Amino acid sequence: MSQAGRTGQIPKFRDPVPGRVTFDRWLELFERVPDELIERYHYYGNGDAWSKYLFPPQTFAIYGARHLRRLKFDNSLAALRMWGFVQNETERLFRARQIGKRVVATMGDLGAVPVIVNSFPDCVAFYPDCIWWTPFVTESKVLLDAAAELGIGDATCFSRAALGAFAKHSYFPDPELVIASTGASCDDYSGVEQLAASFASDVLWVEEPVRRECRMSMPECRATVSGTVYEVSTRNFLVKEFERVVGRMEQLTGYNLSDDELRAGVRRANRARRLVSRLRELAYARPVFPAIEMMVIEFGNLHYYSDMDEWVRVLEHLLATVEERVSRRQYVLDEDALRLVWITPPADPLLLTYVEDHGARIVGTEYVINQALELMDEAKPPLEAIAESFLAASLIGSSRARADAAIRQARERKAEGVIISGILGGSHCAMESRLIAGYVKAELNLPVLEFDVAPPAREIDRQLQTRIDAFLELLRGRR
Amino acid sequence: MKDLLTPRERFGLLVIDEPQDRVPVFPLVTSHAARVAGVSIRDYYTDGSAMARAQLVAQETYGTDFISFFSEVGLVAEALGSKFDYPDDDLPLLTRPKWTELVEPDEMVVDPRRDGRLRLYLDAIAYAYEARGDTVPILAYVPAPFTTAQQLVDQEAFLMGLLTEPDRVHALLEYATRSVVALSKAVIAAGGLPILVDPLASGSVISAEHYRDFALPYEAEVIRYLHRYDLDVVLHICGDTNPIIDLMPESGADLLSIDRIEIADAVTGAGTRCRIVGNLDTTAMLLGSSADVSHAVEKMVADGKKNPMGFVAATGCEVPVDTPPENVHAFVRAAREAGANPDYGGRRTR
Repeated sequence: MSQAGRTGQIPKFRDPVPGRVTFDRWLELFERVPDELIERYHYYGNGDAWSKYLFPPQTFAIYGARHLRRLKFDNSLAALRMWGFVQNETERLFRARQIGKRVVATMGDLGAVPVIVNSFPDCVAFYPDCIWWTPFVTESKVLLDAAAELGIGDATCFSRAALGAFAKHSYFPDPELVIASTGASCDDYSGVEQLAASFASDVLWVEEPVRRECRMSMPECRATVSGTVYEVSTRNFLVKEFERVVGRMEQLTGYNLSDDELRAGVRRANRARRLVSRLRELAYARPVFPAIEMMVIEFGNLHYYSDMDEWVRVLEHLLATVEERVSRRQYVLDEDALRLVWITPPADPLLLTYVEDHGARIVGTEYVINQALELMDEAKPPLEAIAESFLAASLIGSSRARADAAIRQARERKAEGVIISGILGGSHCAMESRLIAGYVKAELNLPVLEFDVAPPAREIDRQLQTRIDAFLELLRGRR
Repeated sequence: MKDLLTPRERFGLLVIDEPQDRVPVFPLVTSHAARVAGVSIRDYYTDGSAMARAQLVAQETYGTDFISFFSEVGLVAEALGSKFDYPDDDLPLLTRPKWTELVEPDEMVVDPRRDGRLRLYLDAIAYAYEARGDTVPILAYVPAPFTTAQQLVDQEAFLMGLLTEPDRVHALLEYATRSVVALSKAVIAAGGLPILVDPLASGSVISAEHYRDFALPYEAEVIRYLHRYDLDVVLHICGDTNPIIDLMPESGADLLSIDRIEIADAVTGAGTRCRIVGNLDTTAMLLGSSADVSHAVEKMVADGKKNPMGFVAATGCEVPVDTPPENVHAFVRAAREAGANPDYGGRRTR
């Protein structure tokens, strides 16, 4: 499609009355989408047919994403566009390599390193970590079995699916460089990274420091943009680590990155983070957008689904849709739905659909990616800004800090309950969920439901359904 | 040797122009699946769960890379009103077309939930998708408008009409197209990837000019619809495709499934525009020895691998019902070995 075609008038498509719709319903809605609109959206600013992405869940279901058939989706064009863009990512990464981009796998840090990688011309960062959702979306144990054959079995977090993906060479192109973060991060995933390294041609290990508890009144302590307090020495250590990242990227690309270019990269990432922040603010204050789409939006801040510029345009479209709904008071869920804060992202997205179907809505989240939501201080030297924002990370601090993040949101949104969805086999979850639940109960006197998400399946386990039903009933009873 | 990739992963790479661990293997096992599973042919064609179970058993038995559902080419025509007979142990037969001569068609569009045997076909697709859709692509043949039209009207009247009443033929083709699209949509909803099948448009039946004027535009219309969904479309035309091989890519198909043509000629005619799926002679499958099959497959794969857009090792047409199973095993074994890609994953494969 020509550039002119893409910059011309947007073909008319009127969103239906806002709501959540089934998979089957989206097929009917998609029939009404004009061809011109399908032709309009491309990734990588490319005009070739392969770079189109406005396709319905059915497309991806036919290619294996079977779980989509059981979810409920927002019925806006913006949400359709978002799903098409996100589901298309495997192909996008292969296409990136085909058109000469350098594909770099970033692992473990969840949000910081891609800001650096994406600042280099024609470089694309992605997280194999996010493949942890694939077994659930496909209702398949293929990747988990592949990981088990390599030595990581059921007693480990579902993120082990990433190892299976490395072994198969079919979920993403072999990255030219792997930048693997370890240290104060997920133990399970550090194990995955070590095994995955044997499939990589080039690995740079980055150390994540622990964020020790400190107060602003203490010497040598500073605060991130949102107020997380850290020690300057920790930040300085991280800056050094990120300087190594820049150095290795310069080696890889033969390109010397200027401070201005890195600064521009920070600004672009901040653009996405601001949009997500605004979406969170609006969608968690009122029931204008479903939780499952919001989870996808939040996780977009990790690596922008491998095309930051287009992802930002998707976010702008989503925000315009949400703002319009707010202004018109058009809600997709009952305004009186039970208000929940959700801690730890559910590996099975069907859980979010389930709680919404049963009269609840999500008003706050702590999805272990706080570092990706944190704004970077554009007045500071760029690596310092990136390092500082990373120090807001969920996993490098205490469980108390994660609990506090959830408690803040629960207070602000008048949450009536908290759900903590642990990861079966995830080493930190077993220790942390109970601690966080204790803090929440002690501070807010709110009911907390803790459970571990079961391995991939078509349906939510019946016992878990009963527990969720009973929990929601309990919350109703407290009104 | 155990495969590194699942059939779905392998197909996924093929359609985005990436090398695979080996060539995908696709003997067109349709009603032969009934034999493999011990299901009567009649049940296979009239009971969706029997059709699905037979396909699942056959895919597992042979280790093929696709599950492919196919009823006869009159599937849509039957739903529109043509009559078929189902012998106990033979393929369905058209007994009475909807019209005996070219007429102004009615306004009917099939309702896949209700008309003919479409419901059971869709049930079979959905069943297999639930059972094995995570690892194996589920393909479903959808008869193209030109082939469907010839099952709606007395075939001789139709073919004469190409010469004497082209406007009526076009009206009938438009009529058929609407229902073909309706079935395609239902196949999509069931989780199947439609394969457009147009055997009565082959060079064995009509001229290249008639193909260009009467079959191709309607194939293209259905494929345009499927491309709205970003689906990778296989166009299957069995019989002689020599006269039309350079025209077939104009349909917009992403993969061409061919029959009686040298692979090298298909590569020359269409290989820079389409992936090639083909094309072992099914008579050899039925009557040849396993050694004959293996030898022919090795040569076919060697030629097919030269296609710049990619290749799927297939039979040219349906594997005959009574094909000896050892010949299908020989096909699959030879295609896997000859189609292996030792460079897949490079040094980085653990």
